[in-house]
Amino acid sequence: MPGLLEGVKVLDLTHYIAGPYCTKLLSGLGADVIKIERLGEGDGVRWLGPYSSGSEIPSGGNAPEDGAWFLYLNTAKQSVALDLKSTEGRRVALELAAKADILVENFAPGGMDGLGLSYRELQLANPALVVTSISNFGQTGPYRDWKASELNLYALGGLMNITGEPEQEPLKEGMPLAQLGAGQNAFAATMAALMYAEETGEGQQIDLAIAEYATNILENALMQFSYSGQEYSRVGNRGYGRAAWGIYPCQDGHVGIIAGPDHRWPEVAKIMGREELSDPRFASRAGRLEHADEVDAYMLPYLIDNNKVDIFKAGQESGLGFSFVSTMQDILEMEQLLFREYFVELDHPVAGKLIYPGAPIMPENGVNAWVFRRAPLLGEHTCQALTSWLDYSDAQVSDLVQQGVLAQHEGV
Amino acid sequence: MQKPPERMPLKNYRVLDLSRIWAGPYCTKLFADMGAEIIKMESLSVYDSHRGPVTPAQGIAAYPDGEPGEEPWNRNGWFNCLHMSKYGVTLELTEARGRRVFEHLVSISDVLIENFRQGSLERLGYTYEEFRKHRPDLIYVSMPAFGNTGPWKGYLGYGIGQEQLSGMAHMTGYRGEGPMKSGINHGDPITGSHAAGVLMAALRHRRRTGKGMYIDVSQQESSVALMGPEVLAYQMTGEEPERRGNRSGWYAPANSYPCTGEDRWVTIAATDEEQWRQLTQAIGAAGLGADPRFATAEKRSENHDDLDKIISEWTSGQEAYQVTHKLQKAGVPAGPVLRGPDLLQDAHYNDRGTFVTVDHPQVGPKQYPGMPWRMSATPGQVRWPSPTLGQHNRDVYGELLGLTGPEIDQLEETEIIGTKPTGSRII
Repeated sequence: MPGLLEGVKVLDLTHYIAGPYCTKLLSGLGADVIKIERLGEGDGVRWLGPYSSGSEIPSGGNAPEDGAWFLYLNTAKQSVALDLKSTEGRRVALELAAKADILVENFAPGGMDGLGLSYRELQLANPALVVTSISNFGQTGPYRDWKASELNLYALGGLMNITGEPEQEPLKEGMPLAQLGAGQNAFAATMAALMYAEETGEGQQIDLAIAEYATNILENALMQFSYSGQEYSRVGNRGYGRAAWGIYPCQDGHVGIIAGPDHRWPEVAKIMGREELSDPRFASRAGRLEHADEVDAYMLPYLIDNNKVDIFKAGQESGLGFSFVSTMQDILEMEQLLFREYFVELDHPVAGKLIYPGAPIMPENGVNAWVFRRAPLLGEHTCQALTSWLDYSDAQVSDLVQQGVLAQHEGV
Repeated sequence: MQKPPERMPLKNYRVLDLSRIWAGPYCTKLFADMGAEIIKMESLSVYDSHRGPVTPAQGIAAYPDGEPGEEPWNRNGWFNCLHMSKYGVTLELTEARGRRVFEHLVSISDVLIENFRQGSLERLGYTYEEFRKHRPDLIYVSMPAFGNTGPWKGYLGYGIGQEQLSGMAHMTGYRGEGPMKSGINHGDPITGSHAAGVLMAALRHRRRTGKGMYIDVSQQESSVALMGPEVLAYQMTGEEPERRGNRSGWYAPANSYPCTGEDRWVTIAATDEEQWRQLTQAIGAAGLGADPRFATAEKRSENHDDLDKIISEWTSGQEAYQVTHKLQKAGVPAGPVLRGPDLLQDAHYNDRGTFVTVDHPQVGPKQYPGMPWRMSATPGQVRWPSPTLGQHNRDVYGELLGLTGPEIDQLEETEIIGTKPTGSRII
C-alpha cells in the first residue's frame, strides 16, 4: 500500500514554510497532494537559498527548482501552475476543491476571499471539504491583519522572552520552529477534521494561528506566572532552577549535561573524575543550584579534555540523559539514525542526489505508511493532475495554457 | 464518567495513556482536545514526574502562590496544564491483580501510548504481540527517546537533549557565541504533535482495514525531521549553518531592539523593499532611505550593525507595543517580546480566547492555554481540569470495567490503586 493516506485528495494552496510542512506530512503519508503555484514565480520559498547549483539565484527570472527549503518542504507533492487571480483559474480551483477531501491554505486572512474562494464558497462547492487555514495570528482578532516574520511570531508567542542570556537580548531559535510547529499542529488538526468529515459528511474550517501555537507550548513559563504571579526569566544555557543541567563546551564542540535525578548524581562525579563533586553540598538539586558556578568549575576540566560523543556515551552508559550539540555533519553520520535507516536518498533532475531526513515517525515495516518522492518542478503535473482529478481533455488543458491560466513544465 | 461530547472528531476513540512528562502527554492532550477519551494511567509508586516531588520545598513558583499544600502532586502547574479533559487512574503493573486490570483495560482501548525508557514495558512482559492477544486491532505507540531499535535504543533523552541531538541548538545562539538551548524542552511538543497526526492516520487506516499497528517513535527522528532544509543546505554548500542571533539570512534588518522599561524589547523585520521603505519613513531619520549603506537587502545585511544602532536609538525612547502599532500601521512586521503577564493581558489573545480559566478543585480558578486551534463545526472546549492522582479510579474501574465496590476496595487496600503516592521517586 503506497502510504497510509492513499486516496485522500488534498488541494494545497500553501506557500513558504508553515503550510507546506503541513501538506508535506500529508503527501508523505501518501495523500494525493496538488500544490497550486503561481505561473513563473511559483511558491515564494523557491527563491530562498541555498541552491544546489550555487549560492546565486539562477538568471533568466525562472523560478529556481533547487532551493534547499523548497526541496525539503514539498516532497511527494504534485505541482500545478495556475493563475488563481483569473476568472478561469478560480473556476478550475473550485472544480478541484469540489473533488478534494482537504484544502490547506496559508494566505493572509482575507486572501482567499479576495480570490473568490472564501470558506462559504468552498463549502457550497463541497460541503464535506476540510479547509485548513494557517495564518500568523488567526482569522479573527485585532492583530489579524498584522504582518509577521518568524522573529515577530516568536516574540509575540512568548517563546523569545525565555530564550537566551538574562543580561543579553531575548533570542529566537535558529530554525523557524514556530512556523514548522504550527504546520505540524495543522496536520493533526486536519487529520481530526478529516476523520469527522468522513464519519458525518460534514466539513469545516480550521483556524490555526502560528503565534497561538507558540503560546500553547510555553510549558511552565506561562503556568508559573498563572499560578504564582512569578515571571519566568531567561537562564541562558542552564536549566531553569537547575545546575549542571544544560549546554557546556567540550573538546570538539558542546555537550548537554543532565545531572539528575539526585540518586544519579554520584555517577556524574565518577564520570568527571572529581572527588570534590561528591561533596554533600552538591548532593541535592537545591544544593547544586546554590553552588552552580563551583559545580561547573569542577566539571569543566573533564569536559574540555574529552570529545562530545565520548562524553555523551559515558553519561548514557551510566544511566544519565547526556546529549551533544550535533552539527549537520554529525546528524548525517549518526550511527543510531543510520542503523534505523532513517535517511532517504532522492534524485532530483536539477538538484541531483541528496540525503533527506525520512519519516518523522515510522510505523512498523509491514504497513508502508510513507512514500518518498522528490519535490516537483514548477508546473510539472499540471496536465496530469487536471486530467486525473477533473477528467480534462488534453485540448481543454492546452486551451487554458494558451490563455495563460495554466502552465505545464516542459521538462529539464 | 461524563457522556462523550456529541460533536467532536475523536469522540469514538479510547486511548490508554501511560505516557509521562511532555512528549506523550502533548500528543494525548491534542487527542483530548479533539474529544477522545483519554485514560491517563500512573502508579502510586512512580507517578508522572511533572507532578513534582512528594515533599517539595516551599516557594516553588509552579505551585499556587508558591504553596505546595497538603497534596503537592495535585497542585503543580506543569502537570495541570497538560492533562485537562483526561481521566486519571492509578495502577501497579508489578502486581498480578494490577496486571489483570491493565489487560482488561487494554482489551477495551483503541490505542495504547507510552514514552517510558525503551524496554520498560517489555521487562514487565508487555510487547505489542502480548497486547494484541488482549486487543487484536490495538494501535500501540511506543515513544522512547531514540526508538526501539539500534545501538542507542536504551539511551535516555529529554526534550532539552533532543534540541541538541537534532541540530536545533547548533543553529541557535548569539552571533559569534556558542550554541544556546531554547527556553522550553522543545523536542517534546514536536514529537507529541507529529505523533498525534500519525496516530490519527493509523486510526483512520484501522477504520478502513480493521488492522491495528505498532508505531515505533524515535523522539530524535521526529526532531531531526524539522531540520531537513538545513540538512540539505549543508550538503549543497558544505558549510554548517551560522548562528545569527535574531538576524535573518534572507533579509535585513531583522532584530530585537530595546524599548522603554527594564528588559523590554521589540522585534522588527523588513522582509522586502517596500517594508524597508515604510520602516525608514516611520523612523524618520534624515537621509536613511537614501543612505547607500542600506540601499539593498544585501547592503543592509553587510551594514547591519550600523542599521541596528539607528533603529535602537529610535526604539529606546518608546514602548514596545507603541513601536509595534506604529510599524504595523505602515505594514512593517513588528512585535513586542511578550512576557507571562503580557500574554495573559494581550488584547488579541483575549479577543480570541487563547487562554481559558479552569477551576481545579485543589488549585482554584487559574488561566491555562486553551484549545490549540479553532474548528468551525466542532469547536470543543476544555471539559474538566487535570485529574488529581487516581481521581477517576472508581469511574474507570467501576463503570468501564464493571468491577464491584468490594473489588475496588480491595485494590485500594493493597495499594494497587489509590490516590496517595506510596513512593517518592521522581524519574
